Amino acid sequence: MTKDAQMIPPGWDYNPATWSQRIPIVILALIGVLIAGYLSLYQLELIDSVWEPFFGDGSVTILNSRISHILPIPDAALGAFGYLVDAVTGVIGGQGRWKKMPWIVIVFGLAVGPLGFVSVMLVVFQPVLFSAWCTLCLASAVISIAMIGPAMDEMLASLQYMQRVKRSEASTWKAFWGVQSEIEKVN
Amino acid sequence: MWARILNTILGLWVMVAPGIFNFSEAATDNGHIVGPVIVTFSVIAYWEATLSLRKWNYPLAVWLLLAPWILSYTNTIAIISDMTVGILVIIFASVSGDVKKSYGGGWASLWQKNPDHIQKAKN
Repeated sequence: MTKDAQMIPPGWDYNPATWSQRIPIVILALIGVLIAGYLSLYQLELIDSVWEPFFGDGSVTILNSRISHILPIPDAALGAFGYLVDAVTGVIGGQGRWKKMPWIVIVFGLAVGPLGFVSVMLVVFQPVLFSAWCTLCLASAVISIAMIGPAMDEMLASLQYMQRVKRSEASTWKAFWGVQSEIEKVN
Repeated sequence: MWARILNTILGLWVMVAPGIFNFSEAATDNGHIVGPVIVTFSVIAYWEATLSLRKWNYPLAVWLLLAPWILSYTNTIAIISDMTVGILVIIFASVSGDVKKSYGGGWASLWQKNPDHIQKAKN
């Protein structure tokens, strides 16, 4: 009980790093891996067609566009990798990870938040450039957007923790990487 | 919450309206870019810890009021649609939500000299 109470950040009512907070985000990220993985199979020409119930040739147009192949690997594969990073950094660490391993929470927050936003925008600008829509690309954008809000509270707890570390005698660098002796110096 | 749901719907509207009414190219591109951003900010603001993102829709809404004149829209429906949505998004973005939990002073604490979470940590 007291251990649980210690895991609630000072000035908070709840612990943002509990499994019930994190598991839904990880599940969304895994669905993202599946969708983006499926689209990259098509882009890598491992499958011949792609599921598109609403927009006719839309998915084909977008997935074969010049922009989507501007990098050495297709953009959907990059997206799948991004979702995988979200899922992995969402799972690593226990329920006190906002203070015990701030680095993973901050990597998680950056991957889901700002990077997620950028990837949403890339998906969404496709109709501007190619006048076509792609159902599964939009589905993946919806997943990315839905992950941001619930992930940011944990990021905030870690950033506040790092703020307290900075004003303490503990080493900011070591606390960031979760060195036990430094963590114990700060609430 | 209702205000942010309405802004989400308005953002979706901005996204699909160009296709429904055959807006000119500039109006279409503008809707396809601004709509999804409004949707994104409104949805992120569903969660208490990121409620303040509702305000990020202000500049987008102001842009919707200006865009028809700056991009010289030719379609009357496009002008009316963007202007109306712009006004509505400003109104709904200004509606705050119930913040039931506390967050150690929230995001603003990161720039404050003596934020809530530091005071609480000393006790």
